[in-house]
Order: sequence, then C-alpha cells, then structure tokens
Amino acid sequence: MNALRMGIRASATGDIARTGPETVARRYRFAPGFIGFSGHFPGNPILPAIVQVCAVVSLAEEEGGKALRLAAVRSAKFLSPIRPGEEVSIGLRRSVDSGDPICDATLSVAGKTSASFQRRLAEEEPPR
Amino acid sequence: MSPEVALPMAASLLIPHRTPMRLVDTLLSVHEGCGVTESVLPRTSMMADGEGRLDEVAFMEMIAQSFAAYKGYLDLVEGKPAGEGFLVGVRHLEVTGRAYAGDRLLTSIRTVTAFGGFAVVEGSVARGDETIASGIIKLWLVEDGR
Repeated sequence: MNALRMGIRASATGDIARTGPETVARRYRFAPGFIGFSGHFPGNPILPAIVQVCAVVSLAEEEGGKALRLAAVRSAKFLSPIRPGEEVSIGLRRSVDSGDPICDATLSVAGKTSASFQRRLAEEEPPR
Repeated sequence: MSPEVALPMAASLLIPHRTPMRLVDTLLSVHEGCGVTESVLPRTSMMADGEGRLDEVAFMEMIAQSFAAYKGYLDLVEGKPAGEGFLVGVRHLEVTGRAYAGDRLLTSIRTVTAFGGFAVVEGSVARGDETIASGIIKLWLVEDGR
C-alpha cells in the first residue's frame, strides 16, 4: 500500500457504516499535516481531486476486503474545495452495469455535496 | 524566443503544485493547443507502493497538471503570471496500463475548448509506446473566470 492510501485510512474518524443493501458510508478528517495536502498548494491547502478519488477506492477496498485499483472514471464532478480539518463524509454505492462493477460515490462536507463520482474498479493483480 | 521561455522547461516554474504532489517534472513541447510533459516519479513518491507500482489515480492528476503547465507556459510567454486552475470534472477516463517508479511517463494534452473561464482538455499518459491512461478533464481557470 502506498503512503497516500495509508494516510487516507489513518484519517478515518469512524467505522464503516452500512447504510443500505449496497451502500456504505464513513467519515474522515484530513488534518493539516495529512500527506495529501503537501504541496497542494503552499499557503492555500486544498484536498486534491486525486486524493478524493483515492479515498473512495480505499473505502471500497476496506468494505470489500480486497485490494482494488482504479480502472475507469465514467464521470466525476468536484464542486467545492475541501480544506484541512473539515469533516468529510463519503458515501459509496456498488452496482453492476453491463457486467462491469460500478462504484458511485459522494463526498460531502457539512451536509453539502463537494464531489460525486461514478467509476469502475478492478481487483488488484499480483505485483510483477 | 528568449531563453526565459525556451522549452523544455521545469514544471515547477509553471504550476503551483509542489513536491510531493507535483507529479509532472518538465514541459517538453507546446504546439497549437497541445502540450507534452514528462514525469519520472521516485520510489519515495506517496503514489508508489512497496513494489514501486504507481497508484492509478496519479494519471488523472498528471493530465490536469500537464494542462496547468501548458497554460502556465502560455501565460509566461505573454508576460503574465501563471493563472490558477482547478480540476472540476472528469469524463471517460480509462486506465489501461501500469506504471512504476522510475518509468519515464509522457503526458499529452489537447485543448478541446476553452470558454467562460473553463477549459475542456483531452489527455493521455504513455509509458514508452503504450498508452496507459486517457480521458477528458474539465478545469476552471480562476484568472479568466473571475
């Protein structure tokens, strides 16, 4: 596991909550010293889009108990910046579309959606 | 062209991202709405696991940072400070290959359209002859959109 994913997991503030048959949610708080803020941007820290995407992959991994990798992003919208220390709630829904495993996710801060995604994940293959 | 704006140019002169979140190293070329950057991520990168394999989410950011470097270069040529930009959307990004720390990755971008403070950009990341990721991103250009 890379340092970014480890930092994301360490930023979880609660357990994974099952919110429906195919849905789970978890809360995170990314502290000012979180590795994902490093260099993005000096004096104006914003949670990078890739960290948001990576957090969803990480949540799906933990929920499913299998290592996953990002295979595709069908669509993603980043609606508002996420700052250090804000409590972020990630909701995740799994489904299957035309045989492809699909993962829909929403990130919200204070009840307001800050990002939404639809992506395809694939199980991790053994290292070369 | 003055030496100050000659290519190749270090991306750190063109984009606000800093290590470890700066994922592109050098802007290699710019031509008619297109640009190419180079990235070689170290084994110590936050995106590399114990085997040196890069997290696939990095490719999306490489496309975004490559456009930022391209735009920063155009601003520099015009004598303006590099404007800020934020990734606001992604569509049809497909990851079809793998990359490892130490690989030389080339990211190509093409500006599809730019209007009203927004830009739509096609991008792809290649390792050697293999395209390992491609997709479309949308960015909000703060300078133009204010």
